[in-house]
Amino acid sequence: MNDVCIRQASFLHAHCRVNLTLRKMLEWRIRLGFAVIQTRIHFVSISAVRVVITLFCCLLPLSIVAQSPYKYGSDSQRQEGVPRGVVTKHVWDQSKVYPGTVRDYWIYVPAQYDKSKPACLMIFNDGGGYVRENGHSRVPIVFDNLIHKKEMPVTIGLFINPGVIPASAAGAQARRNRSFEYDSLGDQYARFLIEEMLPAVGKQYNLMNDAEGRAVCGISSGGICAFTTAWERPDVFSKVLSYVGSFTNIRGGHVYPALIRKTERKPIRVFLQEGEGDLDNLFGNWPLSNLQMEAALKYSKYDVKLVMGVEGHSGRHGGTILPDALRWLWKDVAAE
Amino acid sequence: MKISKTIARLVVVVIALLGAYETVQSQDLPLSLILIDGENWELVSAEHAFTEGPAVNAAGEVFFTDVPKSEIYKVDLAGKVTLWSDQTNRTAGAIMGPEDVLYGASIGGGAIVKFDAAGKPTPIVSDIVCNDLVVNAAGGIYFTDHKNKKVWHVSPQGKLQQVDQNMTSPNGIILWPDQKQLIVSNTKGSELWTYRIEADGSLSHKQAYSTMRLPVGETESGADGMTVDVVGRLYVCTHEGVQVFDTQGRLSGIIAKPQQQFLSNICFGGKNLDTLYVTTVDKVYRRKLNTQGVRYSK
Repeated sequence: MNDVCIRQASFLHAHCRVNLTLRKMLEWRIRLGFAVIQTRIHFVSISAVRVVITLFCCLLPLSIVAQSPYKYGSDSQRQEGVPRGVVTKHVWDQSKVYPGTVRDYWIYVPAQYDKSKPACLMIFNDGGGYVRENGHSRVPIVFDNLIHKKEMPVTIGLFINPGVIPASAAGAQARRNRSFEYDSLGDQYARFLIEEMLPAVGKQYNLMNDAEGRAVCGISSGGICAFTTAWERPDVFSKVLSYVGSFTNIRGGHVYPALIRKTERKPIRVFLQEGEGDLDNLFGNWPLSNLQMEAALKYSKYDVKLVMGVEGHSGRHGGTILPDALRWLWKDVAAE
Repeated sequence: MKISKTIARLVVVVIALLGAYETVQSQDLPLSLILIDGENWELVSAEHAFTEGPAVNAAGEVFFTDVPKSEIYKVDLAGKVTLWSDQTNRTAGAIMGPEDVLYGASIGGGAIVKFDAAGKPTPIVSDIVCNDLVVNAAGGIYFTDHKNKKVWHVSPQGKLQQVDQNMTSPNGIILWPDQKQLIVSNTKGSELWTYRIEADGSLSHKQAYSTMRLPVGETESGADGMTVDVVGRLYVCTHEGVQVFDTQGRLSGIIAKPQQQFLSNICFGGKNLDTLYVTTVDKVYRRKLNTQGVRYSK
């Protein structure tokens, strides 16, 4: 699921007081509309795109009466007297691990960061959706609040979008690398982080040098990618936070529960958020896959927590419980 | 009254349009979107030695080669099969180029040939090894050299340049619908190599964008010929069947083979370009799908 879709779905969940079926239908229509626009599949005529946009605009007012059972708590709201961290935007187009890719990334540095003391690092896949203060997770606000209350350590946020290999000619389609980077098993994404992104951030900031001080978070395919990263390199990443993670057969990720049960335990802590209304499609069944992950991780005595909600493939529920997830994930690293 | 009727009509149209998008545009592209209930493989032609090179002309008629017999057959819109050429010098892969001219990879002649309307071949590039090829709208050609494990480009002006080498087993070769990315199938492995095509025809950013399913216990996909549809799906002939990939390189599913024989090549044909044709050793089959193929030359 792309990140605009997730944002739109979250927005819808936030404001619709209609029955579930209708809500799902609306969500699907909007998701569809954005898939069309965002991917710029050029066989769609302009007029067709217009119809989708028009319908989207027509449906928007309906969303005003909508409501999700999940509300943002005070930790997800700006609080007076809490110092604000600084977010900067960058572009990474020098990748050797994913040659030819171009991507945006953002770095959040908390106000409490002191360059004489190594900071923890948390990486967010589909970073653009996490870094926005009006996005599904409002990470800069949550980090500001939790770091201020010393409920999590001083942590630098690294928000990375998936890569795109731009087309060589105007009007041609770019090669979107999100599924390749996020859904593939193996250590390629971990190597991308370790060999390229960590040094890029480490050049500017003093980062803690052990796995306890590093977490990876993601939604959907970004969720399984967060797990894959730690699974492949537990010596570098020890904490995983997954929202509606795609532990399904998009590119073979359905095998994890089986692998986890027969592999010596790795030092990873895993927080899984999932919803009963999540996807059931050609790749698999998301709620069942996340239950399988939880069961396998428990069987192999991992420190794991699954929060099962009622919603579908969106970042809303995960976003509203982010403060709790962060407190749980960082519980072993003493806040200053 | 009139206004409400108009609105009602508009709503119906919008819903119908959206229904159409769901089939074509949804992000996940399960096989159910393209397979049609009640439609199955239908035999087109039999009693050949080894069929290859299905290609479609502007009318929707399909040509296919019989490699050992140096023949090309034509399937007309009524489904009638006639011998079109019997002097192909073991042409294997074939594809329709600009101006409805059939191009072939002549294994016997070590050449890429162009066929005239009477089925007579003329070499346009010689002293090469060529197994399969694709021709873009500008007349540029990419072909696989399975013996030397290379991929070559022939510019519209006829200049030959090597564009990849040291490959495991390059075989099928096809373009994205926008003709700006090239895909090469790896018969002895599981990768589908995707390249960006640069202005001079050279290739960049090679990536195993898709991974094919292998038969249990095997390491070879048996990948051979490929085709694409208007949505950008990729169809690959393999040991497991026709593997279908979506625009993000994810496996959408596998269409079963018409017979338990090697599947060599594939194209869309028919008046509406909505019928999949496959060549499989002695036979050629077709199957109607709920999608349409792509012509690189309009």
